[in-house]
Amino acid sequence: MTAVLVAAALVVLAVAISHRRGLGLERELAITAVRATLQLVAVGALVTLVFEHVGLAAGFVAVMLTAAALTSGHRLRGIRRPSPIAGAAIALGAGTGLAPLLITGAFELTPRELIPVAGILIGGAMAATSLTGTRLIADVGESMPAIEARLALGVPARAALHEAGRRAVATGLVPVLDQTKSVGLVALPGTFVGLVLGGASPAEAARVQLTVLLALLGVEVVAGVVCAALVTRACVLPGERVEPPG
Amino acid sequence: MPQQAPILAVRGLSAIRARRVVLEDVALEIPAATVTALLGPSGAGKTSLLRCLVRFDEPAEGSVRLDGADVRGLDAGLLRRRVGLVAQSPVMLPGDVRANLAYGLDAPREHELAAALEAADLDADFLHRPADGLSGGERARVAIARALTRSPEVLLLDEPTASLDARAATAIEVSMLRLAARGLAVLVVTHDVAQARRVATRAVRLEAGRVAAQGPVAAVTGRRR
Repeated sequence: MTAVLVAAALVVLAVAISHRRGLGLERELAITAVRATLQLVAVGALVTLVFEHVGLAAGFVAVMLTAAALTSGHRLRGIRRPSPIAGAAIALGAGTGLAPLLITGAFELTPRELIPVAGILIGGAMAATSLTGTRLIADVGESMPAIEARLALGVPARAALHEAGRRAVATGLVPVLDQTKSVGLVALPGTFVGLVLGGASPAEAARVQLTVLLALLGVEVVAGVVCAALVTRACVLPGERVEPPG
Repeated sequence: MPQQAPILAVRGLSAIRARRVVLEDVALEIPAATVTALLGPSGAGKTSLLRCLVRFDEPAEGSVRLDGADVRGLDAGLLRRRVGLVAQSPVMLPGDVRANLAYGLDAPREHELAAALEAADLDADFLHRPADGLSGGERARVAIARALTRSPEVLLLDEPTASLDARAATAIEVSMLRLAARGLAVLVVTHDVAQARRVATRAVRLEAGRVAAQGPVAAVTGRRR
């Protein structure tokens, strides 16, 4: 409990700094901290229950996926059906990582292992989807002259949007690439820290962390590519026309 | 001079952009082997018309026929290869001039790319110039060459000499005349009546989205050519 109070004191410090420096972030910082507290208290209670039943665990994963789709979909405003698009990208990305890890027995299909691993992979897929999608939406809006220059040369709309999609996927992968490159050098990642604090040996924690990090590379590439493909499709109108989002 | 058959025919075309009527009941014909000037004040609908001709925008009413065929029945990619559009501020694609000319072509041949450059009054040496280092006049001519690599029947030029110096503008005017002599239908948007008289045989004047006049350039511009 002392640890939480110390961390909460840091939020108070952050609010004070924001107020002092006129950053205007006091309200958002306070709401974010309270929201995180309520969510984690609720999740803590729920996970205790869910850990006892595989069926409930599957439902919990579905809730995580839905929440991720809605969160990422909110970032993709301006295109048609943003949340289904985000949901498809996140589900395919996370599924690409989760399926082989469970099938090969790298992680057991128990609530205790399924929920945290699925959470990490869904979170990674969500981050890649949000970044890729927002970058692509902004890029299409700003690059219409270049896109129309390509269309005018008779290429299909999807080909005209390919370059924007490629840039967006590359942008979406920056965090996971940087995180993977700097692991252990700049920061100790959450899984490693959590396992060590939970009593696992550093070697075991490193093995699990490496598995998750490498899986995340595949997960986020799939999520980014699927997101770019679906956002591109949403921007294409009949007659090989491109409609800028917004 | 015998009347050329129209390669492009527009009938009853109306278009709406941002809830504003930008074209209303436009009817015009663009003959092959001819430069036609599209005149009119800013906001008259000239660019909107060009966009409808290549289906960048869909008209609310009316039709566009290319060599007798309704363009809505054509594959859009094929339409845009047959009707080349050069925008007012042409965007160069990444890479060198060759990459720009070859973009989207399956198996571009060097001599065809060089011929397109030559038709736009540029040397074949330009093929290996970085596209982002070109002057405004060079960009305009590379954009014309890029459209020519698709072997179009119609070339739409949206104010190709705007903001160019006299020498660069003259080079583009010469290219337009050469292309028309080779059989292309050239439709050039211009504010410059003198330029229209120099290069065009026919002219169309748009005002507030409607055709105010069309016919021989001298008649439309109000002076003998």
